[in-house]
Amino acid sequence: MSNETESSKVPDPFETMTSLWETNLKNWKTIRDTGLDSWSKMMIDSVNTDEYSSTTGQWLDTYLTLSQPYRRIIDVMMTQVLTNLNMPMRSDVTSLAERLTNIETRLDDQDAKLDDILKAVDMRSLTERLTNIETHLDDQDAKLDNIPKAITAISTPKATTPKTTTNNSAKAKEAR
Amino acid sequence: MSPSSSTNPTALQDELKRIEENTRTLIRVSTSRAKVAQTPKQVIWTFNKAKLYRYIPVVPAERRHKIPLFLVFALMNKPYILDLRPGNSFVEYMVKQGYDVYLLDWGAPGIEDKDLKFDDYVLDYLPRAIRKIKAVSGSNEFTMLGWCIGAILTTIYAALRPDDGLKNLILLTAPLDFTDKKAGGFVRWVNDEAFDPDKIVAAFGNVPGEMIDYGAKALKPVENYIGSYLTLWDNLDNPRIVESWHAMNTWVTDLIPMAGATYAQLIKELYRENRLIQGNLVIRGERVDLSNIRASLLNVIALADHISPPCQSESIMTKVSSKDQHLMKVKGGHIGMMAGTGALKYTWPHIDTWLAERAE
Repeated sequence: MSNETESSKVPDPFETMTSLWETNLKNWKTIRDTGLDSWSKMMIDSVNTDEYSSTTGQWLDTYLTLSQPYRRIIDVMMTQVLTNLNMPMRSDVTSLAERLTNIETRLDDQDAKLDDILKAVDMRSLTERLTNIETHLDDQDAKLDNIPKAITAISTPKATTPKTTTNNSAKAKEAR
Repeated sequence: MSPSSSTNPTALQDELKRIEENTRTLIRVSTSRAKVAQTPKQVIWTFNKAKLYRYIPVVPAERRHKIPLFLVFALMNKPYILDLRPGNSFVEYMVKQGYDVYLLDWGAPGIEDKDLKFDDYVLDYLPRAIRKIKAVSGSNEFTMLGWCIGAILTTIYAALRPDDGLKNLILLTAPLDFTDKKAGGFVRWVNDEAFDPDKIVAAFGNVPGEMIDYGAKALKPVENYIGSYLTLWDNLDNPRIVESWHAMNTWVTDLIPMAGATYAQLIKELYRENRLIQGNLVIRGERVDLSNIRASLLNVIALADHISPPCQSESIMTKVSSKDQHLMKVKGGHIGMMAGTGALKYTWPHIDTWLAERAE
């Protein structure tokens, strides 16, 4: 028991190390972030100066000027090698690609024209369908017009039949 | 045995395990590509290296906005920054809001494309892509969103073809006005006498992606070359941050060259001579008059943009004839504004709110 109490009083090296590590890490992160922030601001300020622009511009210009002869040599050598190997050169591939693009352009133009034709055809068929519908509607309109006449025709005989009968019987009498 | 002595070896073991896992994560994210651009889509048109994608709608046709949304990104980076990963994708967000979304991927120019200029992109590529969008969507009107160099292209198009059905124009971090020759590193660098764009183009044909990337990173060297990696290091046990970093790093390192003639035109006619805003830019014989723009205009500016400082984007508001125009200033940088953590909470909903009432 007493041993256990003593051991619990003794600081645990792992715990101490962990807490020390965590404290140090936090401090280090704070220092790091503060340092990075100020470094970043300084760098942003420096790249936004005319001196930086001028230095970068000159460096790039020097690089492009100095590398130009080498690029030419490589181009000439590549051309010779590819010609000797009977292989297509960059210019051949480029012109082929350009021709393909031209074909694609013409295809796209034709696609556009086809779309227009299809649209026109669609419009024509739509017009035809509309005309058919109109004809049907006219027919139905005429039929509808006939319905009241028919109804009148059906309903009127009740009142007129006797007269007709009378007329008919008179005619019959006359005939006799 | 004290409780600490029994637990500490375990703690040490856990710590070692954590370090091992973190090292594995570090190796994985720094040597592999994240899965990006996952929103379902189909290619509906191709032209040279360019591809036009239509994203599969998820909202029923009757509840969808009638006017399609056409996204145009910059020429020197891949456009999947607009569809980075599920949950962090502007495209996915807009598709869910009921828009019929189209994205133009310019592709990587080959050496045969070194003579392509703004003229070609604006008057050959864009009109053809727009024709296809009209044919597929069945709408004669459309909304165009341009980001960075994409905003230059869409602005020029809007000025040259104002009657082509463009109803809404959205500009994101648009570098249009270069009056202030001290605003930002790029303007300073390219205005230096020793900087010769023609010499670069003559040497390389197309300007290498690495060179453009260096230029962008050199504007904030400490953040880009050290800070970014320290952020990853500090958060290696946070999967959300790690995956986000991985996706962004995949995009940042996925470089494409820029057509030589376009680069020379950008530096000389825009950055140096400021022709677009002054009204004397000529595209294939046609003068670009910004006052021709009548479409509804939303101009989104990032307040902490070091690539296109706000002063380069603001002045267009006074140059266009659009009666319906809105300037929106958001916190964040050139890319963070649309792909950072704040985008989903602020930028995207604002764009949606503005566009929703104009897309019917």
